[in-house]
Amino acid sequence: MTELALDIRGISKSYGEFNAVRSLSLAVPKGAVYGLLGPNGAGKTTTIRMILNIIAPDDGTIMVLGRPNTDSAILDRIGYLPEERGLYKKMQVRRVLRFLAQLKGLGAKEADRRIEDWMERLSLKTPEKDWGLSKIDELSRGMQQKVQFIGTLLHDPDLVILDEPFSGLDPINAQALKDTVVDLKKRGKSVIFSTHLMDNAERLCDSVCIIAHGDKVLDGTVAGVKAEHGGNNVALAVAGDGAELVKRVLSDHQMVERVDDSNRFFEISLQKDADPQQLLRRLIEAGASITRFELVQPSLHQIFLEKVGATGVEVGMTGHG
Amino acid sequence: MDKLWVVIKREYLERVRSKWFIFTTIFGPVFFALITILPGYMTVKTMKNQQVSAILILDATTTGLGHKVADRLAKNADSAAVRALSGRSGSQSATGMSAAIPSEVQDVNPPQLARAESLATKAVMEKVSEGYLVLDSATIAKHTARYSGRNASAVGQVELIQEAIRQSLVGMRLEAAGMNAARIDSLVRVRVSLSSDRLDERGRGDSGLVSLIFGFIIAFMLYMMIMLYGQNVMRGVLEEKMTRVAEVVMASVKPDILLAGKILGVGAVGLTQQIVWFGSAAAFITYGAVMAKAMGAPEMKNFAFPTVSPLLFLSLMLFFVLGYILYSSMFAAVGAMVGSQEEVQQAAQPVVLLLVASIIFVQPILLNPSGTLAVAMSVIPFTAPVIMPLRMTAVQVPPLELAGSMVGLAITCWVTIWAAARIYRVGLLMTGKRPNLKELARWIRHA
Repeated sequence: MTELALDIRGISKSYGEFNAVRSLSLAVPKGAVYGLLGPNGAGKTTTIRMILNIIAPDDGTIMVLGRPNTDSAILDRIGYLPEERGLYKKMQVRRVLRFLAQLKGLGAKEADRRIEDWMERLSLKTPEKDWGLSKIDELSRGMQQKVQFIGTLLHDPDLVILDEPFSGLDPINAQALKDTVVDLKKRGKSVIFSTHLMDNAERLCDSVCIIAHGDKVLDGTVAGVKAEHGGNNVALAVAGDGAELVKRVLSDHQMVERVDDSNRFFEISLQKDADPQQLLRRLIEAGASITRFELVQPSLHQIFLEKVGATGVEVGMTGHG
Repeated sequence: MDKLWVVIKREYLERVRSKWFIFTTIFGPVFFALITILPGYMTVKTMKNQQVSAILILDATTTGLGHKVADRLAKNADSAAVRALSGRSGSQSATGMSAAIPSEVQDVNPPQLARAESLATKAVMEKVSEGYLVLDSATIAKHTARYSGRNASAVGQVELIQEAIRQSLVGMRLEAAGMNAARIDSLVRVRVSLSSDRLDERGRGDSGLVSLIFGFIIAFMLYMMIMLYGQNVMRGVLEEKMTRVAEVVMASVKPDILLAGKILGVGAVGLTQQIVWFGSAAAFITYGAVMAKAMGAPEMKNFAFPTVSPLLFLSLMLFFVLGYILYSSMFAAVGAMVGSQEEVQQAAQPVVLLLVASIIFVQPILLNPSGTLAVAMSVIPFTAPVIMPLRMTAVQVPPLELAGSMVGLAITCWVTIWAAARIYRVGLLMTGKRPNLKELARWIRHA
């Protein structure tokens, strides 16, 4: 058995009548990039808060890096970026970062050294301007996100937990975040992040877990999950006004089980016994100009929609994430 | 423990570095002096105004008493004005002071008195004169007189008139007994000033008045500090909740440590400020007189700084610390409950009212520091932090009462912190509606 960065067994949490998380079990191997996927209100944030011992589960156990998470020393080895970000607005950037580092048990001197390092790396300190001397609320949103990000990683944690890390990031910071996740993995760190953006998850994660309504829907390696759900899938792209022409063909439920219509791009799940070649013939007969027709594995997005369904996306409780 | 220290350090340093702290530390005493000295100054000023206001005297005694009273009023008013301004008793001459306008005397036949009175009333109503005094046969026989005027409720004015009538009546009797006028004047103008001393088990204490003022200042200071710094804690909690820093911090330390650190850190700021204030006050009193003398100012003999025994000092500190912890933990719970700046003032009102209750009763308690009200309020934990120190500066509080008050306060503190910490823990992560009492009770139970 490989060593686990995170081992959750049967945790539940309810607020009054509302079950935020129901009997959830997860295992994240060390060194993995793990995606916690689910619609808003699925229980992702509640799960993450339980991992961090911010709230206690009603039931079940959580082991982090081989130790129970109630052991306060283990918290020092976790880095956490919450979904809703914020820092002390009136405080100087360097002082905020030093404070966050010291809370994780880092000495002031070591913290200062690393702060300088990081600020140069993320260009918060340039020969022209040292933003470290500014107050947080003098920084742009993008820069504040950088500072928060530094605060998460300053103590070089072994397990990094990112709650919806891509929400609100501009493309440049999003790229920097992806690079950092890849870098963390190379250095043998474990990364868990929650998201409802399947594209990011598909590209970054080794393994995923999809939860909805507080229940685990499925989990496993990305490759495994895809293979398991690998049915009769076709990726179709059309040019010109082909979109209108193909829609009638795709609405034939004898052949097509489900279509994800992105206007010019279609991800199609065929019925089990349907023949893709026949679909292609009918599309050409309809007069559409086809630029792509490919037999593919389903995307995580597709699997997610199939498993969670449209209803799961709509029903969301705020406040308990 | 290390992390608690990190939190305390942040709370302390961020506040001490702020402009707000520097401003209040420097200008706090100025503001404080203004609100304590200004009312006194205004009283003196208005009293002086009243001296010079003339009144109409309706004399129906047919003995000429009215003119005597008018003379007295004029003489006394001058010296009273001087006295009021210099703060000293005595009868220096009023050279250089604005002389009083002599009061008008109207001799009235007793049967016409009612008519004269209604005319005088009309004059006062039309603001032609300030007020009128009626002297009649009853004044001679029963020593009663009537005064009606716009300023009839002003204690100083009424007292002056009363004194003038008394002196005039005594003068008349002495005259009737054959005393000469010059002797009478010097005899009746005796003024008594009563100074009261406080006695305690060590013997003679400070003058009663000084310790009264001292007690009031202490009580007011305690109240202000608890209010200011308690609300400071509340705003700090709200800021952490609203900016979402709380979640980052709680991923590193337990909420209890965050709460404790905040309360201790802010409390240390309050203590720092007090040390600066009292330190500079002590330095001013010790060296200020020397400096003033060197610069040629007259010596201030009347001023004596009250002596504070180590026991009193220790109790003061203890009551401040306990009172501050009690209220700041309640304020912290309020800060964690609400979701916006607008809401917080309203939600804090019950806590503020608890605290205001103590300052409302400061005056009656000062007047009777051993009464039932005083004893009750110095034992009730929510008013004890302000009222007990106030009583201690005024009277010797029985040790049993003192101990009971402290133990009760400490126990209440403990229970409050326990409940507040639970509300804090749940509230910090909550968004949306403010909880009602029932939900609050559930938070406390299930946190």
